[in-house]
Amino acid sequence: SPTGDSWGIFTFLCAALCNLPALPALNCSEELGAGQSIQQTYDLTRYLEHQLRTLAGTYLNYLGPPFNEPDFNPPRLVRAEPRVPSATVDLDLWRGLTDNARLAANYRAYSRLLCYLRLLDGQVGTAELRHRLAHFCASLQGLVLSIGGVMSSLGYPLPAGPAAPPAGPPGAPAAPNDFLKKMDDFWLLKELQTWLWRSAKDFNRLKKKVPPAVVTLRLEARGF
Amino acid sequence: ESHTQYERVGADVTMKCGSMDWDAAVTWTANGTDIDESHLNGSYLILKNVDLSQSGQYSCYEGSSWHLKYQTNLRVGTPPKEPVLMCRSNNYPKGFYCSWHLPTPTYIPNSFNISVIHGTKDMVCEKDAVPKNRCHIRYLQLFSTVKYKVTLTVTNPLGKNFTTLTFDEFAIVKPDPPESVVAKPVPNNPRRLEVSWQNPSSWPDPESFPLKFFLRYRPLILDQWQHVELSDGTSHTITDAYAGKEYIIQVAAKDNDIGTWSDWSVAVHATPWTEEPKHLTTEAQITETTSASTSSFMAPPTTKICDKGAVVGSGAMAVCWTAGLVVAAYSVLFI
Repeated sequence: SPTGDSWGIFTFLCAALCNLPALPALNCSEELGAGQSIQQTYDLTRYLEHQLRTLAGTYLNYLGPPFNEPDFNPPRLVRAEPRVPSATVDLDLWRGLTDNARLAANYRAYSRLLCYLRLLDGQVGTAELRHRLAHFCASLQGLVLSIGGVMSSLGYPLPAGPAAPPAGPPGAPAAPNDFLKKMDDFWLLKELQTWLWRSAKDFNRLKKKVPPAVVTLRLEARGF
Repeated sequence: ESHTQYERVGADVTMKCGSMDWDAAVTWTANGTDIDESHLNGSYLILKNVDLSQSGQYSCYEGSSWHLKYQTNLRVGTPPKEPVLMCRSNNYPKGFYCSWHLPTPTYIPNSFNISVIHGTKDMVCEKDAVPKNRCHIRYLQLFSTVKYKVTLTVTNPLGKNFTTLTFDEFAIVKPDPPESVVAKPVPNNPRRLEVSWQNPSSWPDPESFPLKFFLRYRPLILDQWQHVELSDGTSHTITDAYAGKEYIIQVAAKDNDIGTWSDWSVAVHATPWTEEPKHLTTEAQITETTSASTSSFMAPPTTKICDKGAVVGSGAMAVCWTAGLVVAAYSVLFI
């Protein structure tokens, strides 16, 4: 069942990775090509995208109207410091990304998105919602790890990031009122959804380009 | 003077003979044919509850001199109903196109204006020469979180109407159907058909944006389709075709991750390879079993049991019939 697996993963991951970023040499039971790791990472993004649909629906209902209305199409408020990393990118620029840059962009994005999602956790209403969020965060942590694994296996350095989840959003001012706070949450979920769509395309490109002969260590992650 | 006049279907139309007085003596014609005086009120022409057939050239002549005093081209029509608008990206990630039409004709000229807003930005949708009622847009950015809002306004001399579509970049991705679908029999394989196809030519970058495919096939004599989903490659071998039966085969495409399935491709027909000449008993037994069930794994075993040379005397026939009954009973479970 998802509950059992997710708490198992969560515990394992917490124990292994309190402070990032270097991947420990855990469970070197098998050696697989980087191609396989990329495939697994790709599969994870698809799984997360599917999970997010349910989570977002539940969370937006919790926020209430107008956030849960299907036509809701608010203008993007320009913040001094963009709160979450955006997946939006110029087409030619995206095409021209090196493998390293492509992976690093994904790694950074999901690391920060995970931080902000965790901040949601303490504030939401129902137990069911908190449980779903926790499950999703565990899976998202797995994705970050998986991307890190691919980068390490290809010899790329992991991007520096916050060593531990920050107490508050770094640099960005806290939302001045309840409605704007909800808007922040809305955009967080939107960016997360868009990143998951983009990652599928990023990893498609990587699948084609990475030579199959590269050897890597695989983390033993049970049944995502 | 001559001009064009637009009126709604069902309206009452009063036409004045230019600047002539009400009590002047005039003659009206419609497309050259005199109009009966019963339609006149003084020098005014009254048309009640006009219909489409009354469109035409109306002329008014002074009574005695037959000078042409006034001429108008009457066009009877309707104001536009809400237009039907569709937007689709069949060439992701290049951009998308929108096409539109009116649900019912207005019978008078209409003009269309389309606007596309992305966040705060106005985008230009370039009109296509062919087909008309279609325009296309290039994406400037990819993986956008902000929706696109497309508004189509239709205007004609009798009124206007509009419709709006709002969508995410990913939601409208729908490729064109696969092209060049070919199905061929496989020599010496009576149950196989080799199907191959190509990516739709409108899909610009199948390397970075791979397509997956859905194949469906059935023998012409059955209604139920078999389905196969293929995550890569542009060919597939069907291995469970009924021997000797003509098949109809279609393929659809979808971006691997986003959007919706294309329409089905043009259907191709093919029949698996058969040995020449055909055995009549084999034919009859296959027909019997295919009509008894819609499951795909029924046909051959019965044939083999009964077909082999050792059909001598009632003992072997009993085996035949028993096997047939068992198969028939089994197949009833699947109906």
